Amino acid sequence: MKSLLLGNEAIAYGVLAAGVAVAASYPGTPATEILETLERFKDRFVTWATNEKTAFELAYGAAVAGARSLVSMKHVGLNVAADPLHSSAYTGVEGGLLIAVADDPWMHSSQNEQDSRWYGLQSYIPVLEPSDPAEAYTMAKEGLSLSERLRHPVLLRSVTRVSHVRAPVEVEPPAPPRWGSFRRDPERLCLVPANARRRRAELVEKWRRVEETAAGYVWTEGEGDVVVVAAGVAYTYVKEALRRLRTEAKVVKLGMSVPVPPKVADLVGQSAVVVEEGDPVVEMQLRALGVRTAGKLDGFFPRYGELDVGRVAAGLAKALGIAYKPPTPPRPPMEPPPRPPALCPGCPHMGTFYVLKIATAGLNPVWSGDIGCYSLGVNMEQQDVITHMGSSLGLGLGIAVASRRFVVATVGDSTFFHSSLPQLVNLISSSVPILVVVMDNSYTAMTGGQPSPSRVTPVEKLTEALGIPTFVIDPARIKESVEAVKRAVEVVKQGRPAVVVSKRPCTLVALRRARAAGVEVPKYWVDVDKCVGCSLCYGLLRCSAIAPRGDRKAYIDPALCTGCGMCAEVCPTGAIKGERERWLEIWRQA
Amino acid sequence: MATSVVFVGVGGQGVVTLARWVGEAALSAGYDVRIAEIHGVSQRGGSVEVHLRFGEVYAAVVEEGGADYVVALEALEALRAYRYLKEGGLLVVNRRVIQPPGRWFNVEEVVEAIKRSGARSCVVPCFDVALELGSPVYENAVMLGILARLLGLPQPPGLDGRNREAFQRGFNLGASCRL
Ligand code: SF4
Ligand code: SF4
Repeated sequence: MKSLLLGNEAIAYGVLAAGVAVAASYPGTPATEILETLERFKDRFVTWATNEKTAFELAYGAAVAGARSLVSMKHVGLNVAADPLHSSAYTGVEGGLLIAVADDPWMHSSQNEQDSRWYGLQSYIPVLEPSDPAEAYTMAKEGLSLSERLRHPVLLRSVTRVSHVRAPVEVEPPAPPRWGSFRRDPERLCLVPANARRRRAELVEKWRRVEETAAGYVWTEGEGDVVVVAAGVAYTYVKEALRRLRTEAKVVKLGMSVPVPPKVADLVGQSAVVVEEGDPVVEMQLRALGVRTAGKLDGFFPRYGELDVGRVAAGLAKALGIAYKPPTPPRPPMEPPPRPPALCPGCPHMGTFYVLKIATAGLNPVWSGDIGCYSLGVNMEQQDVITHMGSSLGLGLGIAVASRRFVVATVGDSTFFHSSLPQLVNLISSSVPILVVVMDNSYTAMTGGQPSPSRVTPVEKLTEALGIPTFVIDPARIKESVEAVKRAVEVVKQGRPAVVVSKRPCTLVALRRARAAGVEVPKYWVDVDKCVGCSLCYGLLRCSAIAPRGDRKAYIDPALCTGCGMCAEVCPTGAIKGERERWLEIWRQA
Repeated sequence: MATSVVFVGVGGQGVVTLARWVGEAALSAGYDVRIAEIHGVSQRGGSVEVHLRFGEVYAAVVEEGGADYVVALEALEALRAYRYLKEGGLLVVNRRVIQPPGRWFNVEEVVEAIKRSGARSCVVPCFDVALELGSPVYENAVMLGILARLLGLPQPPGLDGRNREAFQRGFNLGASCRL
């Protein structure tokens, strides 16, 4: 029976059908659901790792020892894993190693839109590119066997519109996990220069065989003088765009976009329109094979953002000299108000930001941020720089050294373990006075709440062991927290780094638990007679469950309030009422 | 032939679930289906947008000016998704406003604007019916019933308890939504 699966779920079921035994990942949109799906199968080793490099190494080691294994991550995570990635092509693997990477064109939830296929070219690792969830399933399944056959890692490149699309997929039952056993082979596995040089020569040789394999991933359909080469998700847009333009064409579909096998040049003839998501990776390879192409290189299709049917139709029309008029979108009768992404009502980060704002008043700090829910602090003018996982401490240190400004580095617990630990050690040995704030909500919340290492390794134990003055606060208790953070600020002012660990579990996880356990969550409400419309609760604390009415007095939407009670602590007139103690206690244990 | 539907609402309203229910109903009716989650799943309070296409489909995403139906669980979000409406397409709107940051909107003024717009539209009380059933969480199931009627789709498999009741209430309401 077919069921509606997300592309990511399909990838998981694909490797299960191929007998995957070991899988590791670090969560990141749009890749997270691959491992989330695998987690349900307890007969395999499936784990969230501290970062993409450690995840990669675990799966790579398992594959070296002969097990079928998977590592998954988002595109920028591949940068973190780039070191072992390149080595894996040199040593090869014994069992299959599938590297599933989800790219995020147009950066729906990412800092850049890099195209992972470049890594395939650079590291000599073949890249499979499915066009939809059903194909993601087949390619994940075959990709794992292919990897084992070639004794070489295989990269599966997905994009948001494959990973996060649901479509009917026919799924076979999981095959029993294929574990391995390690065989010594230091000449292959120890990449000291003498061995690595030999492996390099073999790698280039092996690439020929990979090209022959790639020839098996070329499909042709349709007839016509015009040839369109489409890779991955671009194929779906090409099919619909041709229908819209009422044009016949021969469509050459590439399921493996790295390497493009020389055989494709014969199939295509002298010229082709090339449609692909991301950079002109296929197009450049085709040009190198002597094909004249119309694609991204000459501007027929845009080199930023996502493709869609309209963009592909427009590009095809231009390349083929067909008249095309895109549909005109209607204008709304009234301008919709912006609804920028905001921290959830009752989010512990909301409290932390408020506390930091009050405790550093007058210091005009530089806010050095990081990747996570708290990136939304950007909307509260409390994030000045956010570039990548680990940027808060890393860049913050440099900014403090260069500018002698008061730097507040805010980082989540999961990100802290992902890439801030070595920096923290750096911070101590260089003794630069910055305020590090670890916003510890016990989960990797931005990606939906995967457990974070802080649940077993308390952040404050670590920082105390490293000898940094550490202050633990509960961000739901605003007044107490302000006092504690002021003490931390004093330490920094005296020339030493300090750490604040702000601890309270993610609200969404707590609410889910409460609902499951039938716990009643308190609702706060505003006594309109007492409210003077000062705007502290909705303007400075910025709880998104509170809106200003026409007379500027506050209104709390009971459907949205999560009972954190921070607003009541902030309100200067005592207009906000509610009772939270029991709930805060239950919440703390989420 | 393909039918394109854009679902919108605010995080926490169950927009993703609603689209999935409709997709499952379409699949059980024998259609090919694509559902694309455009944005907003983890966080609450932000705009959520999900695209559904069924019939003879390859691509998942609906273009601006290309939706046969725009389904809004929240009225201000209906305005934001208005640009997706195809000429002659239908706008189905839950009578409910979730206040955006910084400004206060009256349900009536938004509904008035939608009615004046000239687009075919249909305003339905999913929120009120859900409250009658005991909780705002049922508003998407009420909307599901309305859509089942409008799109001629069966009840999706696996709907139970209060959601079933909500579906039925919606299905009855759906009759008034035909134009
Ligand atoms: S208690 Fe106050 S601050 Fe907390 S969620 Fe409710 S309205 Fe917002
Ligand atoms: S903080 Fe208190 S007085 Fe100020 S707007 Fe909010 S409820 Fe009213």
